[in-house]
Amino acid sequence: MLARISGTLWRLLIGISLVLALSFPFKADAAENSFINAIQDRGFLRVGLPPYNTPPAYYIDPKTKELSGYDVELARSLAKKLGVEIEFDRTSKSFNSLVQRVGANDFDIAIGKLGLTYNRLFDAFPVQYLSFRHALLANRKFVSNLNVDPDDPEFASVLKNSSIRIASISNSTWETEAKDRFPNCEFIGYPNWPEVKDALFKVDPKSKKPIVDAIYRDATEIKPIVYKNPDLSLEYVPILFDDIIDRKSIYLSEKGYVGFTDFLNVFIRREWGEVKSDQQILDEYQSYYQPSVD
Amino acid sequence: MTSTSSLSSFDRLFSVLPTLRKPRNFFLYILPFSIVFGRLIPSSYASALNDAGLAMVQLIAFPAIPLVLSAVMISIANIFSPSNRTPSSRIQFSSRFIVSLSVTIILAALLAILLSIYQSPGVLSPDGKLSIGRFMLDITDIRIGSEAVASQGSSEFWITKLVPSNILADASQGQTLRVITGSVLAGFAMSKLRPSLIQPLLSLLRSVNSTSVQVLNIVLNLAPLVLICLISGAVSTINAEIVVALLNFTICVFLTAIASLGISRLVFRRFTSTKERDSLNSNPVDSVFLLSLSTGSSMTSYPLMYETLIGIGRDEAEVEASASLSLLIARLGNVTYNVIAIMFALNLYEVGITPIRFVEIIVLGAFTGISAAGLTGVATVPTIGVALAYFQVPIPPVLVLLLAIDPILTLPRAATTGVLAMAISVISSSRSIASDNAEKTDLSLGLLSKDGEVPSYEGG
Repeated sequence: MLARISGTLWRLLIGISLVLALSFPFKADAAENSFINAIQDRGFLRVGLPPYNTPPAYYIDPKTKELSGYDVELARSLAKKLGVEIEFDRTSKSFNSLVQRVGANDFDIAIGKLGLTYNRLFDAFPVQYLSFRHALLANRKFVSNLNVDPDDPEFASVLKNSSIRIASISNSTWETEAKDRFPNCEFIGYPNWPEVKDALFKVDPKSKKPIVDAIYRDATEIKPIVYKNPDLSLEYVPILFDDIIDRKSIYLSEKGYVGFTDFLNVFIRREWGEVKSDQQILDEYQSYYQPSVD
Repeated sequence: MTSTSSLSSFDRLFSVLPTLRKPRNFFLYILPFSIVFGRLIPSSYASALNDAGLAMVQLIAFPAIPLVLSAVMISIANIFSPSNRTPSSRIQFSSRFIVSLSVTIILAALLAILLSIYQSPGVLSPDGKLSIGRFMLDITDIRIGSEAVASQGSSEFWITKLVPSNILADASQGQTLRVITGSVLAGFAMSKLRPSLIQPLLSLLRSVNSTSVQVLNIVLNLAPLVLICLISGAVSTINAEIVVALLNFTICVFLTAIASLGISRLVFRRFTSTKERDSLNSNPVDSVFLLSLSTGSSMTSYPLMYETLIGIGRDEAEVEASASLSLLIARLGNVTYNVIAIMFALNLYEVGITPIRFVEIIVLGAFTGISAAGLTGVATVPTIGVALAYFQVPIPPVLVLLLAIDPILTLPRAATTGVLAMAISVISSSRSIASDNAEKTDLSLGLLSKDGEVPSYEGG
């Protein structure tokens, strides 16, 4: 009798051991993408956004007082695909610090028209989702003083080697790019884009001349300035660099890059609709670029 | 039966076209019809209409080169031939022509400056600036890194445009300035040859000249169709907002054409005798003005000028030389237009205008206007770029605006060239020695005097 009970116990023990042994490998498979698992376990996606308002990419809607824009919507759709909630962090001081923080795992992703520079590659890992041309909005008189026809193939090199005074946002990709692309330029940095735009129209009280010759950013920021105020076209001209592309990217930490890049790429291809150009964005969000009605 | 009826409708069409060609009918029928037609047709048809119009303009322009080549060679050979003229009469004609040409260029530029000061083209209201800005959106953007288009011929030294290389090749390539200088040189060389040697060549050139004039008369029948196509196409596509924004500029160009007509009428009155004028039933200057205006080409008025001046007893060689050279070299319509366009650009960019700058505007307006010799229509507009570059005014936006309204302004520009060339010819040509005999013959200029139509030309 005792021997029978002992035999049954032994069989039970072997069975439990087998079940446990078989179940362990499955558990190991599920733990392979620990990055996604961690997000799902936490229940929300942490998204870092720049501390600025850049409609139509990311901005506080003045009517609803809520975050809106295509970057915000992209992040929300991503969270939905992961089956989690979303939390935005806008406490970074600049674009560069935002990229550094995502690299240090402060967020799961950093998004917000973030350009690609060598310096940022030291800090985090990019996944491209937009392709925007670099652009200047230049004073026409400055362009005339270059004494080269803009249709002349020499124009590009004359412009790039000129002592142009370029304004853009400090500590942004534009500061790095301006100094790199225009080696003889004088870069004048401003804390935000509205101040950069104001600088274009400011005149030095002593010399009575403009304090900057051009402002520098991507085509989706430059073109809307003249779209909203067409009369500026007489004085200022957009210069579009077809050969200098700003690969706007979503930044990830090293861990995020290993665990999340494939998911992000599939999401961009299927839900976002491939990498979009500046012209596609300008066409898609035309209503933001219409002339201001006074 | 069918072929007979189609033939008769074909004949009817070609009998209507010469009637419509009369300048009076241009204003009464063609212009109103074209504007209404242009407003009614979809803008997608405008391109086809414009292409058809330009093809016919090309056809009308095709006899110009042989006409110039033959007229200049014959006249220069006659003027410089020792057997035909004394050295003093040669010098008299040359000096009269050069002085009248130079004075007319300067006066025309001055007239354009005065009208520009009065009319202030380029001084825009905020609404005008907004309209212009809207029009220029995306058009004037500078693209870097796309396939660069090499600027053609911009590095060519200006004098090389004047020096002929192969007169036939230049003629076939439409290099009018080279054809003119080549013809002058060839005509001068011919004058040095024995009469027996040059007679066959002169006969050939006369035949070429007469044939060219006849060809011009035939193809001019297409002028009403050209106008309907071009005006309808322009009305269908032209941005009305831009025309309104640039109204001062447009008015200024038209006023210059009308003032030039007035000046030319005065010159005609002052430099012709009562006896000469009595032989005419209508004012030929008006006919030249209307013909150039209605065809948009000053060259089409050459046969009319020639026939008129020969008809009133002027020296044939001098008329041929002065009419062809003044029409082709002086390009007074372009000179006045360029002066106004420079003033427009300077006002647009609020460049201060000083007395020295006025002189610069006159010089550059004349220089760039004359450099447009041989060019027609919108091709003449970019010549102003040199002047704009000198004043360091942005070139692309100004050219974009000028080109936008050029379909309208081509007409007064041609009319100004036509009437002022007529004035130069009247001043520089003298009475023919044989004019007494001519006075005895019937000088009625049938087609011209009756309805202002181009007279048929039966050779020299």
